[in-house]
Amino acid sequence: MTVSTAPKQNSITTHLGNGLKVIAIENPVADIVSARVFLPVGQIHENPHNVGIFSLLTSLLTRGTAHRSSLDIAEAVEYVGASLGADSASDYSLVSVKTVSADFENIFTLATEILREPSFPENEIELERKLTIQGLRSMQEQPFSVAYKYFREGMYGHHPYGFSSMGTEETVMAMQRDELLEAHRQHFRPDNMVVIIVGRIDPERAIDLVERLLGDWAAPEYPAPAPRLPAVDSHAYRIVTPQETNQAFVILGYLAVSVTHADFAALKLLSTHLGNGLSSRLFVELREKQGLAYDVSAFYPTRLGPSQFVSYIGTAPENTSVALDGLQSELRRLCEVPLTAHELQVAKNKMLGQYALGKQTNGQIAQLLGWYEILGLGTEFDHIFQANVAAVTIEAAQEAAQRCFVDSYISILGPATAVEALR
Amino acid sequence: MSSVSDVSASNSSDGGRFKRPFPANVVRLDSGLTVIHQEIATTPVVVVDVWIKAGARYEPETWTGMAHFLEHMVFKGTEQILPGMFDAAIESRGGLTNAATSHDYAHFYMTVAADDLAHALPYLADLLLHAAIPADEFVRERHVVIEEIHQSWDDPDWIGFQTLSEMVYGDHPYSRSVLGAPEILQERSPEEMRQFHRTHYQPDNMQVVITGGVSLDRVLELVQTTFRTFPHRESCPTMGSIAHPRLLTNPQHTLALPRLEHGRLVMAWLGPGIDDLKTACGLDILATVLAEGRMSRLVRELREDRQWVDEIASSFSVQQDCSLFVLSSWLAPDHIKEVGQVICDRIASLATIPITTPELERAQRVLCNDYAFSMETPGQLAGLYGYYGTLATPELSLAYPGYIESYTIEQLMPLAKQYLSPDHCGTLALTPA
Repeated sequence: MTVSTAPKQNSITTHLGNGLKVIAIENPVADIVSARVFLPVGQIHENPHNVGIFSLLTSLLTRGTAHRSSLDIAEAVEYVGASLGADSASDYSLVSVKTVSADFENIFTLATEILREPSFPENEIELERKLTIQGLRSMQEQPFSVAYKYFREGMYGHHPYGFSSMGTEETVMAMQRDELLEAHRQHFRPDNMVVIIVGRIDPERAIDLVERLLGDWAAPEYPAPAPRLPAVDSHAYRIVTPQETNQAFVILGYLAVSVTHADFAALKLLSTHLGNGLSSRLFVELREKQGLAYDVSAFYPTRLGPSQFVSYIGTAPENTSVALDGLQSELRRLCEVPLTAHELQVAKNKMLGQYALGKQTNGQIAQLLGWYEILGLGTEFDHIFQANVAAVTIEAAQEAAQRCFVDSYISILGPATAVEALR
Repeated sequence: MSSVSDVSASNSSDGGRFKRPFPANVVRLDSGLTVIHQEIATTPVVVVDVWIKAGARYEPETWTGMAHFLEHMVFKGTEQILPGMFDAAIESRGGLTNAATSHDYAHFYMTVAADDLAHALPYLADLLLHAAIPADEFVRERHVVIEEIHQSWDDPDWIGFQTLSEMVYGDHPYSRSVLGAPEILQERSPEEMRQFHRTHYQPDNMQVVITGGVSLDRVLELVQTTFRTFPHRESCPTMGSIAHPRLLTNPQHTLALPRLEHGRLVMAWLGPGIDDLKTACGLDILATVLAEGRMSRLVRELREDRQWVDEIASSFSVQQDCSLFVLSSWLAPDHIKEVGQVICDRIASLATIPITTPELERAQRVLCNDYAFSMETPGQLAGLYGYYGTLATPELSLAYPGYIESYTIEQLMPLAKQYLSPDHCGTLALTPA
């Protein structure tokens, strides 16, 4: 499907005097307005001693400001049935708002207050600290999460991508209020921020609202601290974790290029070809033809830093070795045997069709375009990416596979009797 | 392809205006097939969502898991369509397809570009009406379903939900896992599955919902030519008549599980089925007052103030024969007893002390907006119409916000008294082994 699901756009993009970028897109179809405020700060700004700080910081934004308590904020949002949340990811942090259009101004005003004036109350820090640690522990309950944790650690070492975005129990326990205040002061500033508003709202009015609420916010005189990241070296790695589960998990992957690299579109296509949908290569070969798995797939996240190309399968313990062979041979095949013209075209249609379907709601549109902005790619990357995908050739796809699939990282988890032999 | 337990009544329509005219077309064809259509001119995509009264509740006990396994096998083709051809036909043009099975229904859906509908619909209709269920594919796909079951056995929340279902639903088929059990699936044959298919995949059991960039005339023309020859009707073994489930005791159980990092406390009550949606909506309000959002009573008391739980949440879902009201807590095992006591006390007080007006208004806004927010895409809309169309009538899908807004605080107390009794409640605790 090559149709565009984005609304017929009446939109404005502008910069305020303090450097803040604002994008407003009118979509009158539903009585809904979604907004996202993006900041270019996330895991990439963390180090092994403070991993999880931006996750904790953003979780605390809705838990108190200079003027309101946690309950005041919850009350304001819940009594109009809106949503207001904050979160942080690998390369960015964001505050998101969703309301019926009549409530938008009111709730967006509150969103700007939590951005500018969070108070980080000590009791709320303790509560979020406890909830975060419990969140980290509960990931240990899911076999895939455990296998993936070890995979990620082996791949990234001390690079922040090697940790859960929530950090570790040790770092979360140690975090102090003044560190949160300092991180907020340094990174939450208008000159590197993007606000995007999509929905049933006049774009001029949306821009005026942002100007009124954030236009007087002065950026600090020093620049925002840049990430200081350790190099990530590619090296073959394998870890085997015995655990008495009903199912074994095998994860096989490679370090992969960032969103700005020339191979990005080709690798996105290869991950679609391998792992996306009921007609994907892994699904057909390992599930449909061999009945090895219910869950088998691949993913390649869009990252500003060194990304990863990952395939995985959940299988019966006695089939662990066959499943690993299956993943290895499918990835090797992409290096050795060029895709046919038909396979390539199918992957493109699938990729572009689903990409279009991922831009149906106001929230999805705001998320995608704002994300591209904050990664420094600009909203035009929406078109550039689709053009790049359409332009990938058979040779380019094979060469991208050959460049990427070099040092394999493998994590295997399952009952000792099934996995010990695979060490 | 997955199993789903329920669709929440709150996952669904319009920001709370009463008595809007029903915006979709509902057409009953001569064959008995129901077609539900809504044109959305602003979108270039079309969603087809076919709902069939062929969920796990229709299985005899010895065929547990058949409905869900059949949902997998429908994708394995017909005399005309080889295994995998349908998936490739849809996905190679950029469309999406999948399916899900619950106790009350199975449904199969696809999203395609409007121009591709005429190409795609004949495939889906042929699969649903003429599933071949080839014997070799049956054996192979059974491995996949058994892997799906094994995966669920590694999920403590799934185990908790399944155990609780067995405690509260008694002999009703809602007590059984939609996925079935490996040993029962091993005994089933392709011919038995064909029987199940020919019995239930009949026009009077089926709703074809089509939303998006396509007109009614075009939809009727396409459906009439593609959903034409249904299988010769059979009658396979069934459950026989099923009484609506009632919970007249207060079963309690503790389960020790390996690798558990939190304890869980899950408490469940039964409410009316879809035939009393208004009462169900009242219970949905109470669930929201109790444990939806930071302002709700139990989140505030147990997570924010006392900090005895790491999380507490309510879920309320309506099914054909009853609704299910659940309060789930994630907590340290040593708090299970006192948290259970607090929950019982707070539940009991709902029957004697009216909730406040702001509490009611908050719950009404939250539920009506959630409903409005869940109708943003053609796919969400199709799911909503299909769900209500299968369990009741498509028109009922728009009743939800009106019912929610109609409640007064006085009307909620008798509901709490009737349905949320501590003597008619299932309680399950999960603790680390």
